[in-house]
Amino acid sequence: MSENGDLLSIEHLSVEFFTEDGAAKAVQDVSLKIRKGKTFALVGESGCGKSVTALSIMRLIPEPPGKITSGKIIFKGSDLLSLTEKQMRRIRGDKIAMVFQEPMTSLNPVYTVGEQIVEAIELHQKKTAEQAWADAVEMLQKVGIADPQQRVVEYPHQMSGGMRQRVMVAMAISCRPALLIADEPTTALDVTIQAQMLDLLDHLQKEIGMSILLITHDLGIVAERANEVAVMYASRIAEVAGSDALFAEPLHPYTQGLLKSLPRLGLSVKRLPTISGTVPDPLHFPAGCKFHPRCPIGCNDKRCQTVEPELRKVDWWGKDPTLQNCERYVACWYAPGYET
Amino acid sequence: MNQQMQKKPDWGLSYGELVWREFFKSRLNAACLIFIVFLFAVAVLAPFLANDKPFVIRIDGRLHFPIFANLSASDYSVFLAAIVGLTQLRLIRRNRRKIEPSIRSDVLWRQVTISIAVILIGTVSAFIFVPRRLDATDYKSMIVSGKASGAIFAPVPYGYGRTDLKSREQPPNREHWLGTDDVGSDVLCRLIHGSRISLSVGFVAVGISSVIGIIIGAILGYFGGGVDFAGMRIVEIMMAVPTFFLIITIVAFFPRSLLNIMIIIGITSWTEDARFIRAEFFRLRRQDFVRAAVSLGLPLRSILFRHMLPNGIAPVLVNATFGIAGAIFIESALSFLGFGVAPPTPSWGQMLSLGVSTTGRFLWWLTLFPGLAIFFTVLTYNLVGEGLRDAIDPRLRKAE
Repeated sequence: MSENGDLLSIEHLSVEFFTEDGAAKAVQDVSLKIRKGKTFALVGESGCGKSVTALSIMRLIPEPPGKITSGKIIFKGSDLLSLTEKQMRRIRGDKIAMVFQEPMTSLNPVYTVGEQIVEAIELHQKKTAEQAWADAVEMLQKVGIADPQQRVVEYPHQMSGGMRQRVMVAMAISCRPALLIADEPTTALDVTIQAQMLDLLDHLQKEIGMSILLITHDLGIVAERANEVAVMYASRIAEVAGSDALFAEPLHPYTQGLLKSLPRLGLSVKRLPTISGTVPDPLHFPAGCKFHPRCPIGCNDKRCQTVEPELRKVDWWGKDPTLQNCERYVACWYAPGYET
Repeated sequence: MNQQMQKKPDWGLSYGELVWREFFKSRLNAACLIFIVFLFAVAVLAPFLANDKPFVIRIDGRLHFPIFANLSASDYSVFLAAIVGLTQLRLIRRNRRKIEPSIRSDVLWRQVTISIAVILIGTVSAFIFVPRRLDATDYKSMIVSGKASGAIFAPVPYGYGRTDLKSREQPPNREHWLGTDDVGSDVLCRLIHGSRISLSVGFVAVGISSVIGIIIGAILGYFGGGVDFAGMRIVEIMMAVPTFFLIITIVAFFPRSLLNIMIIIGITSWTEDARFIRAEFFRLRRQDFVRAAVSLGLPLRSILFRHMLPNGIAPVLVNATFGIAGAIFIESALSFLGFGVAPPTPSWGQMLSLGVSTTGRFLWWLTLFPGLAIFFTVLTYNLVGEGLRDAIDPRLRKAE
């Protein structure tokens, strides 16, 4: 399945959390491919399994209660799930790095930001303390922090949220990783800072040539920044497509519902349409397609209620054939091109 | 740009410095710390404060320095440790501002390692090379008989191991400010030398118990699950054992030495620390900065002790001050019951136990003064502990 240009491919990943009330299937049969130097967005509501997918790539699922029950995560030709903990530590931070959502708590309050950046550089790149320190200053400059010479010796409590998030990014890219996982990197930031942050990630992506896995629930960000998108619903992937194709012609009813519920500029509506119903409880998923109770097409369909559609590649490009730059996958019995 | 490179960056206040400032906002805290420093000074300088040998004496026209000639190996080790410790404190203060930030932690580690090595080597060589001397010369009678002159004595001119049967069980008087005990030793002199025992028991025992407690608590708290379940049952079993009676039992099997007592107190009182650290680590391991540290691929050692421990050590630090007080108390109680250090080595608890003499008289000065010494030391440590807790707490509240 791994083709040229794929940096990371997840194949049939399933993760379960064993709780007192039973096993919660947090991620089921998720497959996706992240291409070199591109941005892949993983979109979905809270609790749909997008963060768990990201944590699985880093092998950071807390065990117990969590467990990766099946699947492969192929990164540069080797399966991350079969590596030893020691081999995995060499990849974390060096080849794959992660930026967390909450900048206020993601830095250690007892060390200066420089000391925190330097530790990873010294560890992974076998540099001396002086070189590593110079690198740290350079990284802070790269992420657009003014006066890095001064900031590098300051403590996190002396910085604003936006600045701390920049420091987090500096830490993550300090070893020039091949893949950066950004778990809702802008959710906790002011709207004005959000755009800056995303511009910064774009800029760094071009400079370092890394891939970005952008985890978000903000479709606006996806439309602007991502090359490819996977939409997750109730621990499964509903649809994967190039972001242009997805926004032009969503195939899955859930994606269609999401896009309809976005406010549009220039279009005045009294009330935004919503998707009726609520997200199912991961301990008691409905039988068949998990979206069918809320689906305008499938709610009364026998097959949707009983047989779960798997994720299949489709060749359906709608009106605009120029959107064929990415492969398209969908998991819906009624999607055009699904059953041929 | 070049100018900017040369500009010295202005270091921010570290967490430790903020706590330090908060701590000194209270006068009581400052006073307590000064008292502890005073106790340490007394303990370190004990041979110069109370000694039956003079600093200088002229015998047959030649100058002799009996105190210096009679310093024991442990005296030398204590001096060395004190000097190295003070130097280290100075260096740490200086490093904060003067050493290049890039190599600061390396320099600090090197200094600490060198310091510990110097103390260890110094102590071992002191015990090897300093001969055991028993200078039984009675310099005072030499002066009385006119053989010697020009003597300068320590402020308390008595030795702690000297017996003087002519002046037994004397209440406080001009000669002996705090009286004498059943064998005629000066109480003040024994109090001064006893401070060494009490302080070292406190520090070493708490050091041992903190290290054990931190390591066990860190592992239990970080891994949780089955490890935690098994570990906590062991901790609970340890807590269910009446520690004091366990200590008495163990002491009965081992020779009565100070080191044994310190180790035994240390290995029986780590449960509190382990529980504190475990609780802290439970909280910390879910925090984003710990997950961020893991996601950077840092080794477990660094995550546990470099990233998590400094954020969770506050309760252990506070507990340590109470622990020191407790250890002094246990040592006193053991000595009072006759399980402590063997005479003539002075210890406060042992002196207390001499308050009731073999003849049945109640010697109040033998109970009051060591009792006061124990009371004030324990009180000060408890106050410092509470001050520390208050100094740490508001910072935590602000950080939330």
